[in-house]
Amino acid sequence: MADDGRKKELIETLKKGVIEYDEDLVKETAQKYLDEGFDANEGIFDGLAAGMEVVGDLFAKSEYFVPEVLMSADALYAGLDILKPHVKTKDRDQKVKGEVVIGTVEGDVHDIGKNIVKLMFDVAGFTVHDLGKDVPLDRFVEEQMKTDSDLVCLSAMMTTTMVGMKKVIEKIKAKNPNVKILIGGAPVSKDIADKWGADGYGEDASNALTEAIRMVSALREMKQKGEV
Amino acid sequence: MEVLKGEEVDRVPCFSGMGNVTVEGMKKHNIRFAEVHGNARDMATLAASTYKLFGYECAVAPFDLCIEAEALGSEINYYEHVEDNILYPTIKTKLVKAGEDIEIPEDLEKRGRIPMLQEVIGHLKDDVGDQVAIGSYVLGPFTLAGQIMDLNELLKISFKRPEDINRILTDLAEVIARVAKALKDAGADYITIREMGAPADVISPRMFKSLVQPPLTEAISRIDSPKILHICGNTNPIVELMAECGADALAVEQKNDVAETRKKLGEDAVILGNIDPYNVLVQGTKEDVEAAVKTAIEKGVDGVMPGCDIWPDVPAENMQALVEATKRYGNTS
Ligand code: B12
Repeated sequence: MADDGRKKELIETLKKGVIEYDEDLVKETAQKYLDEGFDANEGIFDGLAAGMEVVGDLFAKSEYFVPEVLMSADALYAGLDILKPHVKTKDRDQKVKGEVVIGTVEGDVHDIGKNIVKLMFDVAGFTVHDLGKDVPLDRFVEEQMKTDSDLVCLSAMMTTTMVGMKKVIEKIKAKNPNVKILIGGAPVSKDIADKWGADGYGEDASNALTEAIRMVSALREMKQKGEV
Repeated sequence: MEVLKGEEVDRVPCFSGMGNVTVEGMKKHNIRFAEVHGNARDMATLAASTYKLFGYECAVAPFDLCIEAEALGSEINYYEHVEDNILYPTIKTKLVKAGEDIEIPEDLEKRGRIPMLQEVIGHLKDDVGDQVAIGSYVLGPFTLAGQIMDLNELLKISFKRPEDINRILTDLAEVIARVAKALKDAGADYITIREMGAPADVISPRMFKSLVQPPLTEAISRIDSPKILHICGNTNPIVELMAECGADALAVEQKNDVAETRKKLGEDAVILGNIDPYNVLVQGTKEDVEAAVKTAIEKGVDGVMPGCDIWPDVPAENMQALVEATKRYGNTS
């Protein structure tokens, strides 16, 4: 079908626009894509998100650096703004992977890594509540309760601020043992995550995403079985 | 000091250009970290304690990275309310919108904690100035820009409108040169320029060359002290560019392959480093520290230096091992 070919072409352009951090190209293409009546959800996942995945790989290979990733993210968000309102509700329910609270713990302003992790969650279709950096520990507990998020992600880049994570884990688990907690940042390790009672550890952004999806699926399964 | 001048020495020294406060020092003098940043007496006492307790061959102040931003008008959080944890000062809100020009106050040197820091250096001079070199540091222009404006925006605008960022960085180079002069006038023997916002973990070597290097070179050329350029994180792809910046010595961390760097920069380059400040100095055993010192010297460092600030909770025996091992393995004559 000619239509199908055209759709593919536009999806490829969306992808390319994200990879080449061409915000204008993405905006223009997303609008065309809608005007020609194609499915928003496919545009997001096969176009925008697929492009961001490539960007993630390029970053991991040190071909892209933080500025490039941030600019690709802007292109991605510009496309999302246009396409997201047109996602059909049935897709929306299916595709929202879960809700996440994320932030860098108190005393720590290193947020470059956290921002990249956050981006990956956005791309994968999570609803993300970003608390930013230097976040007072109780804010994580409050925000989780307020949003009833499935997952809390903590980032720390220093060994002194890292210990704040332990406190947050204790506080959240005391209030709500079913919330999953994922931690990361350069000084953090799998060992530490286990010792402090976190549910997972992510070494880098794509790793973080895989872990998150695994944890949220486990949670959903428990809910379905009525264990929660 | 001889090392920085490229002169012959009998032994590789063990010192740093970055913060060197330890929990041992804080305990001994009963000083709380959160309260030391504005107290010249206490800061001098702590800065000198690492030499007095362990024979570490320098005394360096300050301990945080907010001095210049504060003098330009930023508000700083010292975390005085946090009881049981060492938190480093941070900047509360960004001073200017990213990409906007800054205004350099006429009386820059009299602002924020610069006069206090000058006092600290004076105390250190009086106290231990005849025994060890007194060091202080400034930020590099790009890192300072990240302190006074939103870093994400800075990184993006660096790509989209490099000329705007270049103008700001040139102004910041002036700020840095003036602060460094104030520190020198107060008695600092050497100055470290910390451009830790620009390693290859964050920006590309290409951007380092086109955007970071010119103002950094400018700032360094205007600093009239023995000077060290330090960048932590991954510096392997940029060591040659760092060397071109014109500092007397380069300081690198554990991610740097020093043997390779030595090959690239040649015999005459002064390379300092590259002991892992946390995994080795804090978490490692005495033997790990000795082994790391030995390796660093074998690979070709001219001075044994932690990769970044000494991490305060370093055990006393590891600090001793750091100094002792340098004496043992560092004979050059
Ligand atoms: C850039 C930088 C800064 C910038 C930060 C700018 C910013 N807004 O982020 C500035 C200049 C402000 C800075 C300040 C300081 N810094 Co600094 N900094 C760095 C540096 C060079 C790079 C960090 C970075 O961004 N890397 C790139 C990103 C992409 O990688 P990443 O953060 O690791 O993130 C990845 C993974 O860890 C993971 N991840 C991250 N978060 C999460 C979260 C979850 C949930 C998961 C699953 C995964 C995950 O995924 C990410 C993407 O792949 C490191 C050196 C290094 N070797 O890492 C030092 C370093 C972190 N800093 C250090 C220090 C000491 C400081 C200061 C205390 C210095 C001082 N004297 O004041 C201050 C701290 C101020 C404060 N209170 O926070 C030390 C910490 C030492 C320690 N033992 O804890 C380091 C390690 C340097 C060193 N070698 O010693 N710093």
